[in-house]
Amino acid sequence: MKKKALSLLLAGCIVVGSLVGCGGGGQQTAADSSGTTQAAAPADDTSDAGGEKEEAAPVVDEANLTEVQKIIKEAEGMSMEELAKKAIEESNGQTFYGVGNSSRGKAALPLFIEYLQTIDPSYTMEFEWQQPKNNKIFEQLSADSLKDQGTFAMTLIQDGNQIESKMVQTGILDTYIPKEWAQANGTTPDAVTGYLPLQTLNKVFEYNCTGSKEYKNCWDFVAEGTHALFMDIDSEVVGKNFLYMLTEDRYAAWLKEAFEALDAESQAKFQPVIDEMDSEAADLGLGADGKYALAWIKLWVESYNAQTDDGPICNTLVTDSATDQAGLLVYSKLRSVEESATVSVNNVKVAAYQDDYKGIGGYGYCHYLFLTDNSPLPWTACAFIAYMTCTEDGFSAWGKDMGGYSSNPDVAAATEATYGHSKGGCDEEGNVVYDCKNDRGYDWWTTDGQLVLEDPEYCASVSFTVGSWIELLTKYSDAAEE
Amino acid sequence: MGETAKKQSFAIFINKIKTYFMKPQNVILLLFGILLTFTTVAPIVAIVEDTLKIHPGTIDQHLTGRSSGYSVANYTDLFTSRLAKTNLWIPVWNTVLLAVFTCLISILFGGVFAFLVTRTNLKFKKYLSSIFIFPYIMPQWTLAVVWQNLFNSNVVTGTANGLLVSLFGIAMPKWWCQGLFPSAIVLGLHYAPFAYIMIGGIFRNMDANLEEAATILDTPKWKIMSRVTLPMVKPAILSTILLVFGSAMGSYPVPHYLGLTTLSTKYVSMNSKYTGEASILAIIMMIFGILILGINQASLKSRKSYTTVTGKSGQISKINLGKIGKYVIGILFIFITFFTSIFPILSFAIETFLPNPGDYSFLYTGDLSHLTTKWWMTRGNQTGALYGQQGILFNGMIWKALKGTLLVAVACALIAGTIGTLIGYAVSKNRRNKWANYVNNVAFLPYLMPSLAVGAAFFILFSNERINLFNTYALLIIAGTVKYIPFASRSALNSMLQLSGEIEEAAIIQGLPWFKRMFRIIVPIQKSSIISGFMLPFMTCLRELSLFLLLCTQGFILSTTLDYFDEMGLYAFSSAINLILIVLILVFNTLVNKLTGASLDEGIGGN
Repeated sequence: MKKKALSLLLAGCIVVGSLVGCGGGGQQTAADSSGTTQAAAPADDTSDAGGEKEEAAPVVDEANLTEVQKIIKEAEGMSMEELAKKAIEESNGQTFYGVGNSSRGKAALPLFIEYLQTIDPSYTMEFEWQQPKNNKIFEQLSADSLKDQGTFAMTLIQDGNQIESKMVQTGILDTYIPKEWAQANGTTPDAVTGYLPLQTLNKVFEYNCTGSKEYKNCWDFVAEGTHALFMDIDSEVVGKNFLYMLTEDRYAAWLKEAFEALDAESQAKFQPVIDEMDSEAADLGLGADGKYALAWIKLWVESYNAQTDDGPICNTLVTDSATDQAGLLVYSKLRSVEESATVSVNNVKVAAYQDDYKGIGGYGYCHYLFLTDNSPLPWTACAFIAYMTCTEDGFSAWGKDMGGYSSNPDVAAATEATYGHSKGGCDEEGNVVYDCKNDRGYDWWTTDGQLVLEDPEYCASVSFTVGSWIELLTKYSDAAEE
Repeated sequence: MGETAKKQSFAIFINKIKTYFMKPQNVILLLFGILLTFTTVAPIVAIVEDTLKIHPGTIDQHLTGRSSGYSVANYTDLFTSRLAKTNLWIPVWNTVLLAVFTCLISILFGGVFAFLVTRTNLKFKKYLSSIFIFPYIMPQWTLAVVWQNLFNSNVVTGTANGLLVSLFGIAMPKWWCQGLFPSAIVLGLHYAPFAYIMIGGIFRNMDANLEEAATILDTPKWKIMSRVTLPMVKPAILSTILLVFGSAMGSYPVPHYLGLTTLSTKYVSMNSKYTGEASILAIIMMIFGILILGINQASLKSRKSYTTVTGKSGQISKINLGKIGKYVIGILFIFITFFTSIFPILSFAIETFLPNPGDYSFLYTGDLSHLTTKWWMTRGNQTGALYGQQGILFNGMIWKALKGTLLVAVACALIAGTIGTLIGYAVSKNRRNKWANYVNNVAFLPYLMPSLAVGAAFFILFSNERINLFNTYALLIIAGTVKYIPFASRSALNSMLQLSGEIEEAAIIQGLPWFKRMFRIIVPIQKSSIISGFMLPFMTCLRELSLFLLLCTQGFILSTTLDYFDEMGLYAFSSAINLILIVLILVFNTLVNKLTGASLDEGIGGN
């Protein structure tokens, strides 16, 4: 029996092999966007708070809208309170299922329920918030989308690249833009064509300063002998998006500027790699400074020390034995470090905060909010999304910690006024105790701090060009196995 | 005339069918044969289909220019693209090496230990026998985390210093800290108890007359070992290889933590962008499982059995290790098992009191004020002290996961144990029947398939528009049951084969119905083996990760929650979960031992 089964399998493989010649087809990159009613993807300008764009409103054929999309359209014309009433009507006594990359949706939901109870004290709602790790959220949402009515009402999700190609182009997720949020950003829901970001998070370059080594330029993180700690790009795909974004003209130019700021000796070390990348950049259709981006990416991939999460990276960098180590990690991880004999936040410096530092300071990516296109509680999902993006309380689950910046300028200002993250490293008298915990805020990071910002559309467009090129590089962690 | 003959032959046919179904074992074989064919074959078919399907947003869409339909682009790309070496051949090679070395280490370590415990006058047997199985009780990657905490260093691994370098200034080389060597050692230690139980069972029961005859004939000791002793334990060694090879191949967490690229780790890393190609990797893992089954069948053809526990011997001769030797070797094993069994538990306990993950300040300074109870006691998370988590005692996620784990483990143990026992019984009654052999093999096949691949196949099978079971206990129970039926079926089959048919025949003559025969005669006689058929699925389920990794989110069961905290670097939480698991398993094992007399090491040592 086993022999037969084995023969069948092998035969299957042979048949498959023989069909190989028939496969392939054209190298078309444009995806089939059937079922997609999502507004146009973001444009090139990425200087805003996380990806929302103002462009001419897309023409939407209202006859083809799904039920959830019709509700979204209606909801976009409603105030927070009107939406709350709709939510109460819809979900009183029901269970709300959400799924997200951030666990804090779970902390925001009880506050949302409390808010609804201020309108109707008899209102109750059970909830469950799931937080799949790695890439499972996409599989989970894809599987759920196959049902007529899904389990999940909404999602809070990261990785613009996969959102674009797997969720939006396939019509699995729909964007809802709250009226108040649009107003706070000086626009209207109709005029916004990107996704709705809840917040921008930043991963920043940090290094252990217990030794004498200093990192004064972003090229220092890829210098020979340096193995910066970074989450493996295959386990957290937003890390790969960071590398994709570096090839965008604006950020490639930043890398070129930083390279030019190096002394001649350092430049001479990197120059051969940059020259080597010239033809590669041309092949990949990159701009004039693309070779600088490719050189940095190559050196980074071949040198970074892959870790399972930002938590262990932070744990390492703050210990006094991690002398001269560096890393690119989520900024907010510093918040939970407890001072001890061998561990201190002051063992770490944020590279971009040093006066003479040149070049990119880190990477900014968004947590986006979407309704599922088969949402069982669309009104409640819209109200919850509006609550998180338009009220300080709604954002407080994230706002209480440094390193997360609300996409709503009003909420961002209120959050800063309440929590004072810009003075988070000071004692009660205002003396600086932990310099690296004084968060300089979104505006600083995206200008002086040279934070590279994720652009979902750009990432999706280079995913199989630059992306495939990156995969051909030998990662530092794989080098020993070859 | 013709009409009458037809009627007669029809009546004979009906009678034959009636007679066939009068035997309960035939009904069992037919029912479970059909059921297991579906539960084993359907996931394979689903995953094969997935390799041909176009997935939006992945490489196959890019290559074909279509977002739906079918194509062989995944095969073309995986086998022929410039990434073939990275994505396929290196992982395959590493996987095979890992499985082979794991088998070698577990058989050598477990086998030598089994020999010492059963065939020599080694001291401290009872203690050693109990403590030796601890690494199998613990989730396999916890030893990997302990390995990291011990041997990592700033100089070599580019991380904070581990205990060895902090306390003694010794930095181990990179091959020791990461890659194949530590992965094989950790997995080898994890599966060594398996080898110990299997090989120990044979050593304990085998007849020493053959060895004594050889000794009388003045045969050199090495020759006795190679020509007499080892051939006698060959079936147990083969059984260990059979069970360990597939398990090691499908291990995800150990190579993941220790930085080795295998088919399992590649499957997970490729799944987002190369979904269809990742499914091909899962199929390759499955083919290995089928090959192992084939090789094993061929090697044991003459025996037609996987028996690891043989008949009772008349006598067992014990080798004298010498007055000092028996103590020295005993102490040596106490030392080794301290590091494989006691140290991890101690380090888990200590970890839950450290101020920061891996921050052993109290050890370096001797100042106990550096210890804290915040990981246990913190209520509310306003301060951010625990990265947004509540303390262990008040952490709803951990306690919900514990309930989920118990539900899955109990359900899997009861269902897999019952089905497996029935299959074992039915197969033993129809040993030469082809259908019985088929049912026996189809029930065993999922065990030989790497867990991750089985999980992937079940995920694909049950994620469609008709049935969508992702993140439900039902899916975990189905997958766990199918995967762990072999524990019970093998255990039951081996024990039933030892049981003479005359016993049941006597009961049949007395007119006792089948249920009574089972519950009054067969089960009581073989309760030890049958209970282990229930206990093994239960214990394995408690700490299973690779199988369930793709089927649910963290917080759903303890193992995925543990892995989540380990990945996040929140070792206090993962250590606490480890402690909970170890205590749970020990309590259940002791309880079952007290109630039934059966235990994991089945009295190999000391008793």
